[in-house]
Amino acid sequence: MTFSIPSFCLTLALLAGIALDATAAELVVIVSARSPAPALRTDQVAAIFLGQSAQLPDGASITAIDQLVGSPTRDAFYVRVAAKSPALLKAYWSKLLFTGRGQPPREVDGSTAVKKLVAETPGLIGYIERSALDATVRTVLVVR
Amino acid sequence: MSLIHVLPLPLVRLGCALVLALAGGAAAADDFLPTDWKLSGFGTVGLVHANTDQADFSDSVLKASGAGASGRWSADVDSRLGVQLDVALLPQWSAVVQVVSEQQYDNSYDPRIEWANLKYQVTPDVALRVGRVALPVFMGAEHRKVGYVYSAVRQPTEVSGGVPITSSDGADLSWRWQTGDLRHTTRFQYGRTDMALSAGVRLRARGILGLSHSIDVGNFSARASVIGADVTVNIADQLFSALAQFGPAGMALADRYSVDHKRFSLTALGMEYDPGDWFVHIEGGRQRSQSLLGTNVALAVGAGVRWGDFTPYAGYATVHAQTATRTGGLALAGLPPQLAAAGAALNGGLNQLMMTLPEQSTVSIGTRWDVCENIALKLQFQRVTPHRNSRGTLINAQPGFVSGRTIDVTSMTLDFVF
Repeated sequence: MTFSIPSFCLTLALLAGIALDATAAELVVIVSARSPAPALRTDQVAAIFLGQSAQLPDGASITAIDQLVGSPTRDAFYVRVAAKSPALLKAYWSKLLFTGRGQPPREVDGSTAVKKLVAETPGLIGYIERSALDATVRTVLVVR
Repeated sequence: MSLIHVLPLPLVRLGCALVLALAGGAAAADDFLPTDWKLSGFGTVGLVHANTDQADFSDSVLKASGAGASGRWSADVDSRLGVQLDVALLPQWSAVVQVVSEQQYDNSYDPRIEWANLKYQVTPDVALRVGRVALPVFMGAEHRKVGYVYSAVRQPTEVSGGVPITSSDGADLSWRWQTGDLRHTTRFQYGRTDMALSAGVRLRARGILGLSHSIDVGNFSARASVIGADVTVNIADQLFSALAQFGPAGMALADRYSVDHKRFSLTALGMEYDPGDWFVHIEGGRQRSQSLLGTNVALAVGAGVRWGDFTPYAGYATVHAQTATRTGGLALAGLPPQLAAAGAALNGGLNQLMMTLPEQSTVSIGTRWDVCENIALKLQFQRVTPHRNSRGTLINAQPGFVSGRTIDVTSMTLDFVF
């Protein structure tokens, strides 16, 4: 093998750049259209999805629904909301899991399935691509 | 030679694929079971080299051997496997069992139940656990054995090595609450522990009482904890009973250094800032005990940058004994020759034991490479210096061991979770 670490990392960075472009679509954090949940800040959403908070600012209980591990939507969501790469997120949940302090949110396959589940169940919160948005759900945060 | 060139890349890729396949299999099996259960695990395959034949470098005083005197290379320092079963019984009840296999004092890898408890979620923010639970001493103490979750190869032995007790049998109550943007977690703990340290030597801690408080705000987190216990370690019983036969002075020495129902306390404060691209952490602690366990202060600082899949980091850790690390022992002047010889032997034995009072500092640099989502490779270099007559956190000190000499330690690990 002849490639050096700098060129290897440059390749990685380029690949990451391409991957990021492909998922640069806007994401929205949603609750059921029937939910009275107020608009949320990025850090409040991060706390809910990282299992640090089970409540909305008004005190109502809330449960996060995640997208599948490895999905570009999920990877983009955690980088933008919590500054966590897939590996960092894995390390974070492993820490909580192996100390008995928490389990990651339930995962659902794709924005359409997340939207359907969240629409049916006030008390759930999810994130989807903005293009999948419709009147059954309500946006509480736009993730850019 | 670069890191890339020395690693068996195809092998690692195969490992990634295997881990993912296994994880997928377990998830599929879940669907067929009536109760909600989850099997997960973690492990480390490690190799350590130390350039000394005077003592062994290891991560815990509970291990049989390490790198150094027992052999320059050792796989026993970091290698371990942990398996955890989580079962959700009813909406508010869950149970967990974690079993860890790693080298023990008797050189076996017999699995030990690290923790096993029943959890009752009183409210979404209040939880009660009964059984064997992790001790929340230092920030990293609970997940010390899960190498995958932190950047360095292992947590600083200066900080974690002093308290090898990682769990307590009893109960703990955790309460999560919020003030403005600050998220708090307060934990109370009560329990006891009884564990074998070596053949015939047991560590018993009764009345373990712990209180810890964590705060998280944005990328900043901090934890303060205090823990107290009544500790007995039946180490060197014969030495202490022999000392006690030398009148009041001997009895005073035995009383001062024996670990027989001695009050032990530990106070710690740790802080961490991690905005994602880089991180920095600092943690300090003070341990107190009027015994061979000693009174000492420990400090560890570390920082790193996340550069794609690579996380280069550096750290410094130190522990300082706040009591004498040598004793004059029994006054031998004027004693009959035979008694003086016996007294001198006892003094020697006591000073030998006192070498375990930790006085050491370590500088570390290394890098973590996240090969795939479940696997991290790490390479770390350390310069470990025990001083002031202490053997620091080294084990198996050989006759002629000289404190003050720096040891170079190189560690390579593969950490995984599944």
